[in-house]
Amino acid sequence: MGLRDFVKAYWRIILLVVFVGVALVALFIPGGIFADDSIAGDGTAAAQNGTVENGTENGTGTAATVETDQGWTNLVYGLSLDGGTRVSAPVVGMTAEGLEIDPSRETEVTRTLRDELDLDRENVLLRQDAQSRTYTAEVFSENVSQAEFAGALQAAGVDATEDDVRPGVTQATRDEMIRTIESKINEAGLSGGRVSQADIGGEYYIVTEVPDWTPQQLRDQLSDRGIVEVVAHYPGENGTQVNETVLEQGDFGRVSPPEYNSERDSYEVPVTVVGGGQENGGPATEFQQRMNDLGFTTEGVGQCNYGNPNAEGESYCLLTVVNGEVVDSHSMGIDLANSMRAEQWDEDPRFTMGAQTQQEAQSLSINLRAGSLTAPLDFENDQSFTIQPALADQFKVYSLLIGIISVIAVSGVVYLRYADGRVAAPMIITALAEVVILLGFAAAIRMPLGLPEVAGFIAVVGTGVDDLIIIADEVMSEGDVNSRRVFESRFRKAFWVIGAAAGTTIIALSPLAVLNLGDLQGFAIITILGVLIGVLITRPAYGDILRYLLTDR
Amino acid sequence: MGYFDVPEIDYTRYSNRQLAAVPLAVLAVALAILGGWYVFTGAPVGLGIEFAGGTELTVDTATDEADIPDAFDEEVSIQSVQTEDNRYILQFTSTDDEALRDQANDNLESLEDADEDEDGVVVSGSSTSASFGAQTQQTALYGVAIAFVGMSVFAFILFRTFVPSLAIVVSAFSDIVIPIAFMNIVGIPLSIGTVAALLLLIGYSVDSDILLNNSILRRSGDFYESTYRAMRTGVTMTVTSMAAMLVMAISATLFGVGLLADIGLILFVGLAADLMNTYMLNLSLLRWYKFDGVSR
Repeated sequence: MGLRDFVKAYWRIILLVVFVGVALVALFIPGGIFADDSIAGDGTAAAQNGTVENGTENGTGTAATVETDQGWTNLVYGLSLDGGTRVSAPVVGMTAEGLEIDPSRETEVTRTLRDELDLDRENVLLRQDAQSRTYTAEVFSENVSQAEFAGALQAAGVDATEDDVRPGVTQATRDEMIRTIESKINEAGLSGGRVSQADIGGEYYIVTEVPDWTPQQLRDQLSDRGIVEVVAHYPGENGTQVNETVLEQGDFGRVSPPEYNSERDSYEVPVTVVGGGQENGGPATEFQQRMNDLGFTTEGVGQCNYGNPNAEGESYCLLTVVNGEVVDSHSMGIDLANSMRAEQWDEDPRFTMGAQTQQEAQSLSINLRAGSLTAPLDFENDQSFTIQPALADQFKVYSLLIGIISVIAVSGVVYLRYADGRVAAPMIITALAEVVILLGFAAAIRMPLGLPEVAGFIAVVGTGVDDLIIIADEVMSEGDVNSRRVFESRFRKAFWVIGAAAGTTIIALSPLAVLNLGDLQGFAIITILGVLIGVLITRPAYGDILRYLLTDR
Repeated sequence: MGYFDVPEIDYTRYSNRQLAAVPLAVLAVALAILGGWYVFTGAPVGLGIEFAGGTELTVDTATDEADIPDAFDEEVSIQSVQTEDNRYILQFTSTDDEALRDQANDNLESLEDADEDEDGVVVSGSSTSASFGAQTQQTALYGVAIAFVGMSVFAFILFRTFVPSLAIVVSAFSDIVIPIAFMNIVGIPLSIGTVAALLLLIGYSVDSDILLNNSILRRSGDFYESTYRAMRTGVTMTVTSMAAMLVMAISATLFGVGLLADIGLILFVGLAADLMNTYMLNLSLLRWYKFDGVSR
């Protein structure tokens, strides 16, 4: 037999061997098939719903943060087998879309909405659609009804009714939130975090996974909108104090790590203010001007006595305000005052923001770098899951054991049924080859494996062996197989049933692969992939093996 | 051949009516159970915390099982894990997981060899709010409905004749309803895992029906010969899967891996129901179709 005939006769087996080989490389050779992590995808709930996971500007997307050092295989484990915490929460807010607003009235409309609904600046947002030129208005508050929102829009002179208002926020808002949360958890030093959105029963949830922290720690971190402002607190008329926001989130440039100031026994976050030294005055120049106008750089130097009733009407403080709460008060130092008075500070606009504790300084620094969350998350209606790494490791071992035990059970029944090693042994080996190929595939695309995926693997062994039984019975029915032609004809008949059966399994599980039902997406994807690999690669190969063993070539 | 072989049943002894009566009676009982459940509880199945809302904590504690309820302000249901002494799975209807976690850490004794700076006695926890659960419920319902309709359409496309396709759809329906009724009786609530099992069941159980229909309708040979040929293969398939699922259910229960245990048990029961439905209900419909239905 020449090489060509050999290949022609056994191409299905050769294909199987090639696939198993490639899978083994993907599984065990460090770096796998794709040594470059940058192409790595993410097979979790995220993948289906058009998330922006890899679209982060600073390159801290999922792909880069998935831990690649996973022991002696290239498999990536999901939350339930790796340990960690996941919180899925909907976004607070409602949206009115397709609003016709004259661009010149944008600020006015925003202000009217804010006043009518009695909301803070950060809870009203107007966006213009780049294509249709229409506006989308969003309100982020639990205390506003759809009717009130519509009423406020009408008060602002916008043509909108209650029917135009829908619960939920826009995709743009969710995308911003996902990016912000991603950089928040990265700034907090947690590598391996994943953020995505999931459509569950028509409502969008933001799903955050971190390898450490309890659910409450994660919720605390996420419920911190991270809105940082610097407020000037200065004497008004008749012995009162006036508050005025002088620097906002967008005004900060480079943020340095927190430092300890031994003189004041407090912590500081050095920042730069953007827009210094510009012709027409950026935020830094405006800030400098405002400080001079309000007297901070003259009579106000060193005159901060925040919260002291006796100092009412005399205090000049710069307050660090996070999420509307004052975390620190500072007086203007003499050096800073001098350079501001000389109008030179804005050429190198450096500034320190204070915090009482190291933790506060840390979170201030994170908030300054990561930016603020566009809308708050609703933790009243959330779902959380957490598992300690030690237990997750045990589950890994258990999963392996349960898998092995199931395979032994299947092998036992198959052997008892056929009592012929020539039929049974290749059956088991083929089914295992299917699992190896699937594992290799999962490792290659860095699909995180959790318990649902393990269930998928066991389901694949189940369907796989079923189909092999169909092939074996069909091929051996009606007496011995004595020619290749007889074999091929019987094999084809068997294959019709296998194809039909595979079709039903794929149809039955495809809703799960698309819908977000718990963690079951992975289960469905693994099972469907397994069925496809089985029908296209391993089951035809089993037919060839049987033919080799049973026909008189 | 083999240590066991599929017995050949003499179907000629039974009329179609007799054959169909048993599975239809079982289906009727199962539907009655679901109906009764719906009347008395407002839902056809008991819902687990993933659907109804609630909190589940897995704890490692030296406290006796009997003393665990005293640690919490809430009603708690306790399940111990066989392979791991001192490990318990606790379920609460409250969704305030932080309060429950605090109560667990304050009132339950930690194990001696436990790491002090770890998160206390709670090794794993999940908490679902009622609204999240309701949304998940809806999604699950859609999923099962889409899967079932999709499978039915596919069955009709495959065979292009009404009665044999209907036979597949009816027996698949029964294959799902019977395990759900079984869950109600033995007190297994509907969880994400059991929904996965029900969907997988739609895929699995139809295999043997397709095999039988194919053998009888598309292949040459006498009706009973074809039936026996399909049965030998089909029963082997189903029994193999049942063995795998039973073993998976038992071992996963011992290890305390709830998801796998649920899937295993439901598939085992569903496949057992499938044996009955395929070789009694489906077969009687096919025999009627072959001998009486076609000639009309």
